[in-house]
Parts: sequence; C-alpha cells; structure tokens
Amino acid sequence: MKKLIMITSVALTLTLVAGCTNKSVVRYGDATEVETTDISFGSTDLQKVAGQMTDSLLLSPVVGTLTANSRPIMFVESIKNKTSEHIDTESITDSISTKLLRSGKFRFVDMSRVEAARKQLDYQQNSGMVDTAKAMQFGKQVGAQYMLYGNLASIVKSNKDQTDVYYKFTLRLMDLESGLVEWADETEIRKTKGKEFVSW
Amino acid sequence: MTTSIAKIMTKRSALLVAALSVTLFISACKNVPPVTSGVGSDQIAPGQKFSKHLQLHNPKLAKKLHISDIRSRTNNDLLEVNLSLTSTYKKTLQLQYQFTWFDKDGFVLEAGKSPWQPLDLHGMQTATVPGLAPTTTVASFSLYVREVPEEFFKF
Repeated sequence: MKKLIMITSVALTLTLVAGCTNKSVVRYGDATEVETTDISFGSTDLQKVAGQMTDSLLLSPVVGTLTANSRPIMFVESIKNKTSEHIDTESITDSISTKLLRSGKFRFVDMSRVEAARKQLDYQQNSGMVDTAKAMQFGKQVGAQYMLYGNLASIVKSNKDQTDVYYKFTLRLMDLESGLVEWADETEIRKTKGKEFVSW
Repeated sequence: MTTSIAKIMTKRSALLVAALSVTLFISACKNVPPVTSGVGSDQIAPGQKFSKHLQLHNPKLAKKLHISDIRSRTNNDLLEVNLSLTSTYKKTLQLQYQFTWFDKDGFVLEAGKSPWQPLDLHGMQTATVPGLAPTTTVASFSLYVREVPEEFFKF
C-alpha cells in the first residue's frame, strides 16, 4: 500500500514538473513597440533618433524658409558610426530620408544607385533595343542642393552591477554651393542595465 | 525494529509531501500577459478641447498619471502637437506614448508607422513631449500613453 502511495506521488511529481518546463513559442510582435531586450542599439533607438531628427529638421525656421516656395533637393551622405558596436547606420539614414520625402518638403537624389541608373541609361541609348525618341537622355539629371550628414557616437561605462550606454546622434544640413551648414541638431539616448529585485 | 522502520517511512512520507508541495508551487508558475492598456484620447482636431476626448482605459495608471494638456498648432504646414503628462506618483514611471494621425475625412495616415516613444517620468514630474504630423494632409490626431510592459512570471 505504502509502495503504491510512493509510486503515485513520484508519478504525480514528475507530471507536475513536466508541466512547468519551458517551451518555445513564436508570436508576431508590434514593430513599433518599445524594445528593451538588451542594452545595445535597438529598433526603438533607431525609431527615436530618426523621428526626432526628422521632426527637428521639419520644424526649424531655416527649413521653413527653404521649403516655402520649392522642394529642395538633398542627398544623404553616410552617417559615421563612432560607437563601439556594429550599427547599420544606412538604416537610420534610410528612415530619415523616407520620412523627409514623405513629408512632401524635400526631394532626394540617391547616390548609391548612380551606377545602376547609368547602366539603364546606357542600355536605353546604346543597346539598339529602345526607341531613341523615347529613350531617357544622359545629362538631364538634377544635382542636389543640400547634403545631410552626421555622426553616431557612444560612451559606455560599466561596473559589476550596472552598465550605462549613452548615444549621441548628430545630423547636419549643408548647402553644397556655399558650404554653409544651414541646420544642425543632436539627440541623445541613455540606457542602463542593472539588477533589480523581483518580488512576488 | 518495527518502530524504526515506521519512523523512516514517516520521514520519507514527510519528505515526499514536502517535495510535492514544492513541485506544486513551482508548477503554478505561468507567463502573465503584460498590462497594455493606458490613458489617451480619441481623435482631436486643432481647436477642440482635449478634456472632452480623454479616454481612461487603465484606472490604476490614471491614478498615477494624468494628461494635463494637449496643444496643437500648424508649423511649416505640418500639425505639431505638444502633450503634457503629469505624474502624481512618487516613483519613476516608465512610459511609452504614441500618436496616430488622421486626414480630414478621419482616415488613418501612415498606419502602423508611428512608433511608441519611451519616456521616463520621474516622481511628481510634468513633462511635455512633442509630436509632429508626418505629412501636410494630417487634420487630426489621437494619442495613447501606457506603461512599458514587462513580462513576468507569477507564482
């Protein structure tokens, strides 16, 4: 009888233990949600930096004057990554240029696709496959008037209990003809990772 | 002899009962979905009183935080919004806020592209956070504030 009770107890225990094991679950998440998985540069930081810089640029009085009667043409130079992490800064510039373009205030030329555009024009002009009257002409492109460029820097500090990361993103708008910097702004992000007591 | 066996069995039974209790305790753990409701507003057009549009979906949060002001104006043809949040709580609130933008017909613009922005609101602090419409066709907006959800295990 006692043996039976023991066996039953062990079986019950095993069942209950098995009922609390981890199992992997796949879910779709909100891409715009604040993400705090770890301390490194994440999607929320990218969205925050791109959003704040775009808003600041669009609200500046200088840009108000520049865009009052025309849509200035810009090109985005790369953002220099001066942090200790690998960060895809092209993704930040993509977000900023897309937001600016969608605002209807600016137009852009894409310097990363110049070679592809040249190949296409060359094909239209010289392959003999395209009606020359309808082929796009060389030498008709419009040059950029302004250049957007910037830096992303970080300071990382840590002790045994806490890690602190500070990011500083600087963006500038230069008038290509005069060389004057017409607008500049910077935004900061501070993230800390430490131990917290959990209670229940 | 019989007494000692009985003692051992009693000890074993006690141990088993203890083990069972611990197991039951652990097995009661489960993932608790985080609270994602908050406070916010329905569609507000410039010039409208914000107090008539407030929505308090989370009374617990509404006790610690209230929307003290919502202002809007047009700047460089774009709708600019300032949202003032006041904490009535002594500790820091880890919040996130989001704006949603609508055109003149009330259709949502740039759906799913307006990110949640993190905001740390310190004890009893009032903070004003800005929002800027993504396009010149925005005529009204809504906003929502909630705590940064943390998934935790409940025993």
